[in-house]
Amino acid sequence: MPASVIVLFCLAAAVIALFIGFRVRFTRSREGKMLAFVALFALPIMAAWAGFSEQMDRAESTKFCLSCHIMEDFGKSLYIDDPSYIPAAHFQNNRVPRDQACYTCHTNYTMFGTVTAKMHGLRHLWVQYVGTVPKPEAIKLYDAYNNRECLHCHLGARTFEQGSTHNKVPDRLSLIKSNKLSCVSSGCHEFVHDVASLKDATFWKEKR
Amino acid sequence: MDTSVTERRIRWAACQIGAGLLVQLGSLLVVHPLAFVAFLMVGCPLVGLGIIVYLIALVSSDSPPAS
Repeated sequence: MPASVIVLFCLAAAVIALFIGFRVRFTRSREGKMLAFVALFALPIMAAWAGFSEQMDRAESTKFCLSCHIMEDFGKSLYIDDPSYIPAAHFQNNRVPRDQACYTCHTNYTMFGTVTAKMHGLRHLWVQYVGTVPKPEAIKLYDAYNNRECLHCHLGARTFEQGSTHNKVPDRLSLIKSNKLSCVSSGCHEFVHDVASLKDATFWKEKR
Repeated sequence: MDTSVTERRIRWAACQIGAGLLVQLGSLLVVHPLAFVAFLMVGCPLVGLGIIVYLIALVSSDSPPAS
């Protein structure tokens, strides 16, 4: 449902609820009771659910993640003109949806992955507004990056399964698949956001 | 129970729901983590509380005995 429709729906529900509030004698009639039930029970639940769904969708957007000042450098790192930088290569080549670039790689693909990602987001907010904000280059992941997130897309892909580097050493592929050898380990896809080196980097300018 | 008590509860519920929905509406106008928090921590509890107050008003109101 488009956000504008949800906004209008919330507005209409609020106006009807407030109308009932200011004309409470109206609820003495049978019609008034029915309208009150719709306005004070059915509509608010529908509006809140639609809004919640929209907010959850928005919380997965790149714009949302980069709206905090501290995340700006991470956003810039998506435009580094160097294919060895994994986030930049994925973002610039549409290997992840650009409008959900952060979420696609930083959620975890488990049953409660989305909830965990949202809880982490709330913790980020707490640090941003109440705690001590670290420098961008000091920001670390809560846990070591799990290959499961990469394999969510790459598992079964020809370039992954039959790639010469992945098959150069026996068992390497199985080690990767079992998360015993990290995709982002040194000598593999080691350049991730690396925001500390941004000042020396050149950036890709997208032609529009 | 006095009818005015029920009506007062309905009015109170309507105000809470209206305020909650307006907060939710406001939070939908901007894409920002604080808007998300305002929606979850202010809008949703206000609406939820209003609905509960309304339901309490319904179950505690005296209706005329069925003839």
